[in-house]
Amino acid sequence: MAADPASVWKLVERADEFVKYAQNRDPRTAYQQARAVLDEAEALVGQLDEKAATALRAQIETRRADIARFEGSA
Amino acid sequence: MFRKKDPEMAARIPPGQHLTRGWPVLSASPVPPFDPATWRFRCTGLCDGADWSWDEFRAMPSVRLTSDVHCVTAWSKLDNIWDGVLFKEVAARAGVKPEATHALVKAPFGYDANLPLEALLDDDVLFAWNHDGEPLEPKHGGPLRLVVPKRYFWKSTKWANEIEFLDHDQRGFWEVRGYHNDAFPYLEQRYSWQE
Repeated sequence: MAADPASVWKLVERADEFVKYAQNRDPRTAYQQARAVLDEAEALVGQLDEKAATALRAQIETRRADIARFEGSA
Repeated sequence: MFRKKDPEMAARIPPGQHLTRGWPVLSASPVPPFDPATWRFRCTGLCDGADWSWDEFRAMPSVRLTSDVHCVTAWSKLDNIWDGVLFKEVAARAGVKPEATHALVKAPFGYDANLPLEALLDDDVLFAWNHDGEPLEPKHGGPLRLVVPKRYFWKSTKWANEIEFLDHDQRGFWEVRGYHNDAFPYLEQRYSWQE
């Protein structure tokens, strides 16, 4: 599948939605789903130009760190 | 009930938004615990400083305001009735210094949202403890949340417990995660690449 920054961002945004609605559901499952979508996004980042890839990788890593922190606090 | 042909109602729904009947629960972090005996609200940065207990905060002059809510995830909720204290009342009591131009409104788990002071001092911005006449539920930001009706709702920090006054703008939690710094719903300012 060909990737562009917008399609990768859509996946990141989908991960955000899992996280934002986690408290409404089973947070553990929601965080797992968010991680899976972030993995999917990361797999596509390699197809992007360096500038977009760097920026989106940073966003993905920030979210992984957030999820780890939230899991530790839940 | 909302009908698309009602122009007055339609004008209250920003582009890309739809009305919700309920109130979806969204938060990046888990719900923090609340104990009125130990809860504190602090004002830091460019101000004289403040550190209020729950009782002290609740003793400030209260207002009742009605406003609409627009979430960046595309739902809007109209005619919310809020009871609380105006941001400008809190800022006045904190003794904000003249050089302050912006503020971060903070919550537990490292959440914060940034806005220009001018926006926060608006007459419709408050720290709310009641919604529709009932104490604000923890899942919706209780005991206390900021309400900034003119911006997307992530700017309305849930579980607010600190204001840091700054002489510069500093992006908050979602703003550094790719979301828009200004967040005006009627301009559909959702993402940072629109800036």
